[in-house]
Amino acid sequence: MNLNYNEEQIMLREQIQKFCESEYDFYKREDIVKSDNDFDQNVWKLFAEQGWLSMPFSEQSGGFGFGPIELSILFEEFGKSLVIEPYLSTIVLSGTLLDRSTFSEKDDLIEKICSGDFHISLAYAEAGKNYDYLNPISTLDSKNILNGTKTLVLNGSNSEKLIVTCIKDNIFNLVILDSNTEGVSINSFSTVDGQSCSEISFENVQLDKSNFIGSGDQAVTLMNETINLATLCVSAEAVGCMESCYLKTLEYTKNREQFGQPISSFQVLQHRMVDMYIESELAKSLLIRAMLEVNNRSDSMYKHVSALKSYIGTSGKLSAKEAVQLHGGMGVSEEMMIGHYLKKMVSIDALFGNADFHLNQIGN
Amino acid sequence: MNINFSKEDLAFKDEVKNWLDNEYPSHVKEKTDKGITISKEDLIDFHKALSKKGWMGYNWPTEYGGTGWSASKLYIFNKELGLAGCPPILPFGVGMVGPVIYTFGNDEQKDRFLPDILNFNTWWCQGYSEPGSGSDLASLKTKAVLRNDLDEDYYVVNGSKTWTTLAQNADWIFCLVRTDNSGIKQEGISFLLIDMKSPGIEVKPIITIDGDHEVNSVFFTDVKVPAKNLIGEEGKGWTYAKFLLAHERFGIAGVGASMRSLNRLKDIISQLDNDDLQRKVNQLEIDLSAIEITELRLLSALENGSHPGAESSILKIKGTEMQQALSELFVEASGEYALMYPGPHGYENNYKPAGPDYAAEGLSAFLNMRKTSIYGGSNEIQKNILSKFVLGV
Repeated sequence: MNLNYNEEQIMLREQIQKFCESEYDFYKREDIVKSDNDFDQNVWKLFAEQGWLSMPFSEQSGGFGFGPIELSILFEEFGKSLVIEPYLSTIVLSGTLLDRSTFSEKDDLIEKICSGDFHISLAYAEAGKNYDYLNPISTLDSKNILNGTKTLVLNGSNSEKLIVTCIKDNIFNLVILDSNTEGVSINSFSTVDGQSCSEISFENVQLDKSNFIGSGDQAVTLMNETINLATLCVSAEAVGCMESCYLKTLEYTKNREQFGQPISSFQVLQHRMVDMYIESELAKSLLIRAMLEVNNRSDSMYKHVSALKSYIGTSGKLSAKEAVQLHGGMGVSEEMMIGHYLKKMVSIDALFGNADFHLNQIGN
Repeated sequence: MNINFSKEDLAFKDEVKNWLDNEYPSHVKEKTDKGITISKEDLIDFHKALSKKGWMGYNWPTEYGGTGWSASKLYIFNKELGLAGCPPILPFGVGMVGPVIYTFGNDEQKDRFLPDILNFNTWWCQGYSEPGSGSDLASLKTKAVLRNDLDEDYYVVNGSKTWTTLAQNADWIFCLVRTDNSGIKQEGISFLLIDMKSPGIEVKPIITIDGDHEVNSVFFTDVKVPAKNLIGEEGKGWTYAKFLLAHERFGIAGVGASMRSLNRLKDIISQLDNDDLQRKVNQLEIDLSAIEITELRLLSALENGSHPGAESSILKIKGTEMQQALSELFVEASGEYALMYPGPHGYENNYKPAGPDYAAEGLSAFLNMRKTSIYGGSNEIQKNILSKFVLGV
């Protein structure tokens, strides 16, 4: 048993930390959020140059073959800096799904993804379906004509291709199509944490055999594993947020003086910060277990990811709310970073099953 | 990173399980399985069985007759005994005073006391808290004055100790006593070993809210203690006391015993078809997993040569909160039968009242477990420790 990160993993973390400190401070992030673009293409190209876009792909596909441990490190660090670039959408949800599929054009697509010039989105959610992703209403008829509406498609407006979940002959299918195909209409809006997502409707969109990524059990497995990995990633992001909430609050209270002394000298605040620290450490522990179970592809990997997601949903939001409270009026100021962690935690809890949903999964 | 134990550790786990199956006294197992409070004799039999196997010194180095186990073996040992429902190993001898004696005691003291601890021939109790000194332990007042009569050096001890666990069974007590009042309060404290049979010692029971007699008041009136029973130097007792607290790092979270409770609760609740209880037990399962991995992370860091310090306070806080939450959920799972309470020793003469058989046991544990967030440095003190040493405020 060894729960320490190895040297390569420690170096990766330091590399990401260094990048975020020098290229992605809060003011830079604010400029990106307020710009007309959904993210910064130059930053995305820098990700490509650092090799981060190729990180999780298999070596046959031209990637580094890194797994859930390295992805978790990346997302933890992204969480600390509240990175909004669509890594989750293009790389994790779409890229790793393609990589594990038998789709004939996957090598070309992954190469384009790694170059940093190309985005794909996974359209998995539908209105009224809550977190049931395997029973979409979207349907392919016997002539492969697609009808349906997908919601909350992350980065949908910037993607040249869409991977869509749908039912054909009562069987779950994954299809891929160009987003400018006739019959596809995209309506985009921004998310609470500064990202973008789309409502996409498919009206009599004609597909053929070449559009199929997977069908039946194979597609179900691809979908389950992809969502599980993405859930791990956003949870790691939350763990990063939690650590930052605690550390930034500690720093703030050490510097903020009231009644002639730093407010960190008050025991009532100390104990609340200790609670934030403890929650952050316990969340890290659950992250370590979940990422190792996913890495081992163990039978219980879904359960451990659910445990993590449920925990960070509750305690992550709690930490962010405490951070806002302990920052006083500064905590609710848009121009301060701290309140943006709360928005991030709200968005993470909403993705892929919230705390209550995953709490119920534990007993199943 | 690798969450699996080594082959050697797994073989050790089998050895522990084998001991539990074959050498752990069956009359003790029968009682703990049924949730019946065990007697003094049962506890002695359990400890003697550990001694026989050579495992009493589970946390001691080999040079003093201990096992010399690695941190991971220690973890496995604690977890398996907890899972099997063994009573907790009494910490006062082997966990507390033993390490103080072999670290700070002289050769005569080592020869005199250590073998009896390993063979469980002496039952030790801990004389720390006083009526006026709880969390502010260094304010203690029990006084020891050095005298000399007929060429014999001895201390005369006056004062009282409280919350002394199982003092009614104890042969010896290790005490923090005040030998000097002149300097800062931590500097005048000494560490003294006292024979409980000494004239002038009186033990009075304190009955706790579960109805049990576990803790006591111990009164000292002109108790004569040979000076050779002083550990280390006079006035250095506070240093030894802190060493003692830091020594009890692992097993403090009680993960094994909590897992046993959780597994029982899961069984019980799965038959109740109650979504609210199901969610609560799910939450405890997640929380316990977080505690377990946190303990393993500290263990892993320790085996890699780093020295986790105040972080172990997390285990004290969360481990005890878990014990309390589990016992509370037993009570909730009893529904309206939580009304009935026969006391800590269950129903006598096999009289079986209405309601589930876990109701009384749950309530007894729930009431008893309130102590866990109070003893060993209350959870608020643990948060002060974390504030100071981790947050740096």
